[in-house]
Amino acid sequence: MSMAIFSPKIPSLTPSPSQSHGKPHVSFKLYFPLRPTRKLRFDLLVSSDNGSGVAATVPDETPVSSEESVGSNGSPPPPLTATDPVAEPVKFVGGESSFEDPRWVGGTWDLKQFAKDGKTDWDAVIDAEVKRRKWMENNPQSSSNKNPVVFDTSIIPWWAWMKRFHLPEAELLNGRAAMIGFFMAYFVDSLTGVGLVDQMGNFFCKTLLFVAVAGVLLIRKNEDLETLKKLLEETTFYDKQWQATWQDETPNSPGK
Amino acid sequence: MAAHKVTPVQHPFQNLTQSLKSKTFQPQTIKCIPAVRTSTIIISSKLRVAVIGGGPAGSSAAEVLASGGIETYLFERNPEAAKPCGGAIPLCMLDEFSIPSHLIDRKVTQMKIISPSNLTVDFGKTLKPHEFISMLRREVLDNFLRLRAKERGATLIKALVTNIELPISEKSPYMIHYISNNTHSSLAVDVIVGADGANSKVAKSIKAGDYTCAIAFQERIKLPEDKMKYYENLAEMYVGDDVSPDFYAWVFPKCDHVAVGTGTVCSKQNIKQFQRAIRNRVKPKIHGGEIIKVEAHPIPEHPRPTRVRGRVALVGDAAGYVTKCSGEGIYFAAKSGRMCGEAIVRASENGEKTIVEADLRREYLRKWDDEYFCTFKFLDILQRVFYGSNGGREALVELCGKEYVQRMTFESYLYKKLAKGNPLEDVKMAMDTVGSLIRCNIVGREMMDSFDKTMTLRM
Repeated sequence: MSMAIFSPKIPSLTPSPSQSHGKPHVSFKLYFPLRPTRKLRFDLLVSSDNGSGVAATVPDETPVSSEESVGSNGSPPPPLTATDPVAEPVKFVGGESSFEDPRWVGGTWDLKQFAKDGKTDWDAVIDAEVKRRKWMENNPQSSSNKNPVVFDTSIIPWWAWMKRFHLPEAELLNGRAAMIGFFMAYFVDSLTGVGLVDQMGNFFCKTLLFVAVAGVLLIRKNEDLETLKKLLEETTFYDKQWQATWQDETPNSPGK
Repeated sequence: MAAHKVTPVQHPFQNLTQSLKSKTFQPQTIKCIPAVRTSTIIISSKLRVAVIGGGPAGSSAAEVLASGGIETYLFERNPEAAKPCGGAIPLCMLDEFSIPSHLIDRKVTQMKIISPSNLTVDFGKTLKPHEFISMLRREVLDNFLRLRAKERGATLIKALVTNIELPISEKSPYMIHYISNNTHSSLAVDVIVGADGANSKVAKSIKAGDYTCAIAFQERIKLPEDKMKYYENLAEMYVGDDVSPDFYAWVFPKCDHVAVGTGTVCSKQNIKQFQRAIRNRVKPKIHGGEIIKVEAHPIPEHPRPTRVRGRVALVGDAAGYVTKCSGEGIYFAAKSGRMCGEAIVRASENGEKTIVEADLRREYLRKWDDEYFCTFKFLDILQRVFYGSNGGREALVELCGKEYVQRMTFESYLYKKLAKGNPLEDVKMAMDTVGSLIRCNIVGREMMDSFDKTMTLRM
């Protein structure tokens, strides 16, 4: 049965395990971790609804009957009528479950339950919210007017964010800057004999300092270099698309 | 259905039209005056302009052209078609294009934006009583605009344009080949305005180049009475990776049903999946409804590489005037059609002179770019910053909760003018933006890290 469930999505995996192991059930367990959980849900859905055709407007079971026409792309055709043979039942993805957590009360986190030593443990709130958003991302829930979500990240005070995320990174960057600064100062001194105080008066050295600081701030990981280049290209891309029509003004003679 | 009475509307060109209609048609003498500019070859027969495509862009262009005394032909292949479209127009369009209020199906005064974590924000707290977003049926609006163009003197031709022959010399006309009533015909015109939408034939014939399109997919769902009451004046916008990786999903109320749809640029093959996701997100509110229609349409993402070539100008969707971030195109289509028409009228001095490409560029393209490029660019930046990831989307929804943001957004949208803001509030808004973005992206990063951690644990 597990084969039937996974065959639509993982065709390449199905033949090999069955050939090599002869125990498809076991081998699928190995492949579980490689797929994010979200895809599994869609597989289940596709298989479970195969072949169960439905008539139009059945009241409670499948409330919304879809009569999808095949050609749903491209230019607007004449009004699509219900002539398509396959009437698919409407699939509502995701279970009826909603996010359950004893600390999640009334659409927001109950801060009293996060108390530690008489003060709210903001780190725990952040962790809880991260977990909730991750869960929501994997199991998109229909929004309901009866239980609206009102939690806003601005409820968590700014210093909690700073303490947890900004300060460690700042320490790292300052450390890098200090190391670079020390060795650059030594290097320039050894080459030119100009001491640290005199270096600061020189324009070229000040430029080097600026470049070093900017480099430390902007390039934190290896990938950042590529990211910065792409960012520059992206910001001007839209402008280029608008200017494109003016580009062929000069080569063409006016009045074609 | 189209049996609405056409109310006499005060149009700026009305006086002009009346004075022109009383003029007699001039005799066919061709005068060649040695002119300072090459474009002052005066021919006595009026300038002939064909507007291909009878949507908002084409009808506005045809209306202005006809009012300016130019011989206008408006081609529309399917006047009764209901176009798949959101159908929302801003307040300024009602004034600028004199659209009567009986065409409006619904006045949306409230909007809800829902984030991936279901944080719901009520957008519209700052709307004044006379402000709303009008929802209309496209067939009703298009028909009204077309008939108005016809009243001003344009000739409506119900035909499918099959081919456009480019002129062989500077003075020879364009030949439009079309099929009307199963007969092939052709028409010679001097200028063409291409208003035939995202798959523009005019653009193809002048080799205007391609553009990337988003696909918008929507299902019209008829809801039971009580569920429909909820959407009486309310539209909803859903953001999230599940409903669209680079756009938003919507629930817009129409005349007697709702349109539930989504769109995407980069992930078109998964559009059905996104549609399922949005249906799921709205589940309790559309439970018990039935789908009456399914439709999809491409939406251009940016202007074509060439918008004017020779004596052909593209307007509306054919040119690619759809904003990013909100996907708004009706107002800009109509406005560009009108601007292009006015440009032709001005450059040809009410049809007395021929015009050249430089005229179209100077009078239409330059003016359009100067006026609207900033708006489009700003929305492009917004889309890039806020629609890129779930973190950005959460930040967007958080920001939309602030009253100042709501007021500025609506004023800019409804009146298409840069809203005058309070500098102090602007600074506060900027800081809030940065704060929200940082916080939500941090949470997003933490989510990714925790995901990686659980993955490595499992293995």
